[in-house]
Amino acid sequence: MIPGVSLIEILTVSTLMFFIGVYGFLTRKNLITILMSLELMLNGAAINFVAFNKYLYPGQPNGQLFALFLIAVAACEVALAIAIVINLYRKIKAVDVEQVNTLKH
Amino acid sequence: MGTEAIIVFFIAAVVLVGGGMIASKLLAPTSTNPQKLEPYECGIPTQGPTHVQFKVGYYLFAILFLLFDVEMIFLVPWAVVMKNIGLTGLISAIIFILILGLGLLYAWKKKALIWE
Amino acid sequence: MNWDDLLLMRHELQLLAVILIVTCAEIYLSGRDKSRIIPLSLALFGIHMAAGWLWPVEGELFGGMYRTNGLIHLMKSILDVGVFIVILQAGGWARKQLAPENRVSEFFLLIWSSLLGMYYMVSAGDLLMVFLGLELSTLPVAALAAYEVLKMRSAEAGIKFILTAGLASAVTLMGISLLYGSTGTFVLADLGKQMQGNSLEALGFIFFFAGVAFKISLVPFHFWTPDVYEGAPVSVAAYLSVISKGAAVFILMILLMGFAPLLTDLWVNVLYLLAILTMTIGNLFALRQRNLKRLLAYSAVAQAGFIMLGFMSSQQDGKASIIYFMLVYLFSNLAAFGVVQTIEMHTGKEDIGDYEGLYRTNPRLSLVMLLALFSLAGIPPLAGFFGKFFLFMTVASAGYYLLLTIAVINTVISLYYYLLIVRAMFLRKSDNPLPLVTSDGWMRAGLVICVAGIVALGVASGVYDAIYALCAHL
Repeated sequence: MIPGVSLIEILTVSTLMFFIGVYGFLTRKNLITILMSLELMLNGAAINFVAFNKYLYPGQPNGQLFALFLIAVAACEVALAIAIVINLYRKIKAVDVEQVNTLKH
Repeated sequence: MGTEAIIVFFIAAVVLVGGGMIASKLLAPTSTNPQKLEPYECGIPTQGPTHVQFKVGYYLFAILFLLFDVEMIFLVPWAVVMKNIGLTGLISAIIFILILGLGLLYAWKKKALIWE
Repeated sequence: MNWDDLLLMRHELQLLAVILIVTCAEIYLSGRDKSRIIPLSLALFGIHMAAGWLWPVEGELFGGMYRTNGLIHLMKSILDVGVFIVILQAGGWARKQLAPENRVSEFFLLIWSSLLGMYYMVSAGDLLMVFLGLELSTLPVAALAAYEVLKMRSAEAGIKFILTAGLASAVTLMGISLLYGSTGTFVLADLGKQMQGNSLEALGFIFFFAGVAFKISLVPFHFWTPDVYEGAPVSVAAYLSVISKGAAVFILMILLMGFAPLLTDLWVNVLYLLAILTMTIGNLFALRQRNLKRLLAYSAVAQAGFIMLGFMSSQQDGKASIIYFMLVYLFSNLAAFGVVQTIEMHTGKEDIGDYEGLYRTNPRLSLVMLLALFSLAGIPPLAGFFGKFFLFMTVASAGYYLLLTIAVINTVISLYYYLLIVRAMFLRKSDNPLPLVTSDGWMRAGLVICVAGIVALGVASGVYDAIYALCAHL
């Protein structure tokens, strides 16, 4: 619990982070930037877990536990995504989503 | 804790993001001419590819490092409460590390650890 | 904790043992011929599947985080059968294409890791477990979709899958965090009790639902489906269309029918709408496909819509009809994908036009395809008919007659495009039909199991009754 900061303020930050992530995910063209947006969304959710835990249910640390697992899973996801991006990069020599368009209709 | 407040924040977030996009579309003066795409003020136009290439090997090592780095997340809380959870906790952690070690052995045998 | 209790997790521990053994075999054989791993993998998984069927147990572990009972045991066994058929059908492909490139065992390991995630997902008693299972079952599939590293379209399928999956998991997490914020617990049983039905819970539930709907490929979340099915190796597409979707349907069923009674009004309406959208859009897009993999992808989307019909009743008949339909769908769809895989592997062709005159050159493969497509379309006396029949009965007994009418119209539409393939194979004559392809022994075994399943499930009525009895306690 941070003195002087209410739950609402923290939730504002986390929600904004989440939606900035959604915005970046949908508008960016560079695959690496899209992955960064994805991280932003995941971290927004992680902040939510910790904040709810600390402010509303301080009895047991289950929300924080969830956040720990979330960080690990996010790392795995990004590692795999980067590996696939590198694989793609070797073929088209670019990391631009607009060039990934062979499969259509 | 009024749940309505959170809903309001969601709406606010959507409005902020969407409103920002729309406002910048509407208000910002847009001009497109070839000069706009040229490099900034000083310096000469670049010749050839400007993006320096990294070796793929860096990424491979980074990914491997990342996976074993994140292992810490589970081992630190375990180490903190190790005395309280006794033998079961110890055995569980050993199994966890052994499975991760098998992964490292696999990467080793696949020659992922050799720097070319 | 009592170590004997771990026997409750027998399914998971067995599969983990299989995974570790094959990993060790891969490490041990490094630098040598890996094609020996294929029979080893099939044999180990066969043993695991057979042992998994025995002794259903009931109980909880880890303070309720893990739970199992007869129905969950049945779900896991259905997934086992599906995975066994998939890897059986992939055996020849692995020997021919993967063994020279030294990538055999990873294929099996990734599929099994994903299956392990599904086990944990369906026997989760806790949202954390649901989330971990969901991720563990999704991430290996992204690697599998990009498995043919030399092909551009496989890499593209991989990147499309991992990005969509990432978005879905982020949205799911946001949903879980809101549910947690409102109730203060992750335990599913407590979650149902703590819910007050306020709007925050509804929002959290919708976010969470979006993540699961992505895996089932319901309509607003289906855009990845055709691209990934077309780009990925055929056996991975088959895996995605049956196993991955089946596990997601099962967990949705457990969550909605078992634990979220307060939100029933919400989810019945949401699913009502999504079922209509999914069936109709899936079928309409399937009509204009010429590539068989894409056609099967849209057909899989449409079938997902039919599965949603079973959710209209949260009684015993709803649950039983969903599980029975999944079982039928598993055999039918895997048979169709098996034929497509055989033809693709030997000739590289996958358009409907290429199948013209197939019956003259490959009568047996065409007959298998015919059975599979008729079963998917729901023509009696094949199993597919009964699968659809029980779903329609569920909808009718719940009183949603409009939905029933739309579903029947959709069945007719789907019949049209399934018959297009049949016409190409049997009635059309082609100047240069595909040559005779001889499938390998593993593929043949896989197809025989599928055909046996399609025919036997249509004849044996006891199966539905057995599932119905198991559904009494969820």
